[in-house]
Amino acid sequence: MSAITAPAPGGTPAPAGTPAPGEGSEPRAGMSRGKRVALTLGGLWVAGLFFFIGVFGFKAHKAPAVASGVFTPTNEFKLDTWFSVGPVNFNKGVLYVLLAAAITLALLFYVARRLKERPGRLQAAIEMFYGLTSGMTRENLDTTLSRRYFPLIATLFIFILVSNLIGYIPLPVDSLDKFKLFGAHLPSFQIYAADTNVAFPLILALMVFVLFSWERLKAHHGPAGFLRSLMPAGITGPIKPLIFVIEVLSYFLRLISLTVRLWANLLAGHMLIAFMGGELGVLVGDPWVQWLLFPFGIAIYLFEAVLIAALQAFIFSVLTAIYLGDAVTSH
Amino acid sequence: MPATAHLPIASSGSFLITPNVGLMVWVLVIFLICLWVLRRYVFPVIGQALDRRAEAIAGEIDSAADLRRQADEVLAEYRQRLAEARAQADEIVTRARQAGEAHQKEAIETARAERERLLEQTRRDVEAETRRAIDEIRREVADLTVLATEKVTGKVLTGDDQRRLVEEALADLDFSVLTGGGN
Repeated sequence: MSAITAPAPGGTPAPAGTPAPGEGSEPRAGMSRGKRVALTLGGLWVAGLFFFIGVFGFKAHKAPAVASGVFTPTNEFKLDTWFSVGPVNFNKGVLYVLLAAAITLALLFYVARRLKERPGRLQAAIEMFYGLTSGMTRENLDTTLSRRYFPLIATLFIFILVSNLIGYIPLPVDSLDKFKLFGAHLPSFQIYAADTNVAFPLILALMVFVLFSWERLKAHHGPAGFLRSLMPAGITGPIKPLIFVIEVLSYFLRLISLTVRLWANLLAGHMLIAFMGGELGVLVGDPWVQWLLFPFGIAIYLFEAVLIAALQAFIFSVLTAIYLGDAVTSH
Repeated sequence: MPATAHLPIASSGSFLITPNVGLMVWVLVIFLICLWVLRRYVFPVIGQALDRRAEAIAGEIDSAADLRRQADEVLAEYRQRLAEARAQADEIVTRARQAGEAHQKEAIETARAERERLLEQTRRDVEAETRRAIDEIRREVADLTVLATEKVTGKVLTGDDQRRLVEEALADLDFSVLTGGGN
């Protein structure tokens, strides 16, 4: 390890013949800063592995909570009721939904009240979001329907996006695992998203399903037309009933696919981050495993926060637009 | 907590796939509130602002196209005027050159005529002077001839003698050299 990291800060000439002769300390300066940082971090990572194995051993012991089965990785996704007001329960899922709504409204109100001719970065981002959702609506729906459903599609996009993004901010919401600070027992920090509970995407998907089914019903003049519209054009003969059954199934599977795509992506992403961020090490009881996987945890965290959060919001809203458009245009 | 959370299976991890009905209601209500608020107060404002900007941009583009057209017209007019000015300048230069040449030719002609006139005058003066000189010489020769003859002969000559002597003496003299008629 030291062989890797030692020469870097010293700035002494490297013994290897890579630099041009007579250039003194130039060869080190020739190495890019990013490369030096990567080498240093890599060195620290390898050194940490040796450190943890040296201090705790290659095969350590599981924590008592893990050994007894009290601790399970899925516990952090449980929704414990914090308090109830009559029949209304309040838990961290509700907190995240409220947070998402508050941030969404605050953000959009803030921008809408301060619209300028020359937009700043935030206004430009909001305008880009508006243009994107407006474009996807107009591409899939006619003028009347796009005017009617644009607010729904845009709200779905921004609401899911904000819900996803706040899911990557560690907040003290893990009421099952507390820590002590100045004598107070506080919930542990965790990253959680309301979409990791299937209820969140399911109710939104149900709403969308009802809406595009209603539009299909209206567009095809009743249940008979509705069912006929599910059949692809040009199908004849004995295969027709089979195709009809498949089409009906695929129609109802839209509800499942809309729900599961968002929910499973978010849940799997959060579980992966948790596992790579240290939970797997806790489960097997080896600190060096935690250290080994930690960089992968950071990579997955960045991947999820930068790409998946926006991608899933986009997919949900664009599929809503496509299904609504399909409801009125299919024959 | 929803009823599903109290089932034995929920504690073993199935809560992950069991929808929390309470959360579903929360999500639906909060989402619909967001939708209503955004639809009523936010999206129209942003949409109008974007429409205004699009109109302003379209207006700016039209204005720029109009300005471009005007600029093209002005440029064409300027070029035309420039070409006309150049043609006029060329014409003026040509005229000036022609006038200069005419003046020069006229001056040369005038000078030549003047020179001819002066030469002619000079010639006439010279001839007149020559004639006058010859007449004087003739007179002098006649007088000297008569005087010389009277002294030699010792008698006074008559008019006829004098005339004859003078004519004989003058006949021997060649005045063509004086008048320029000889060699």
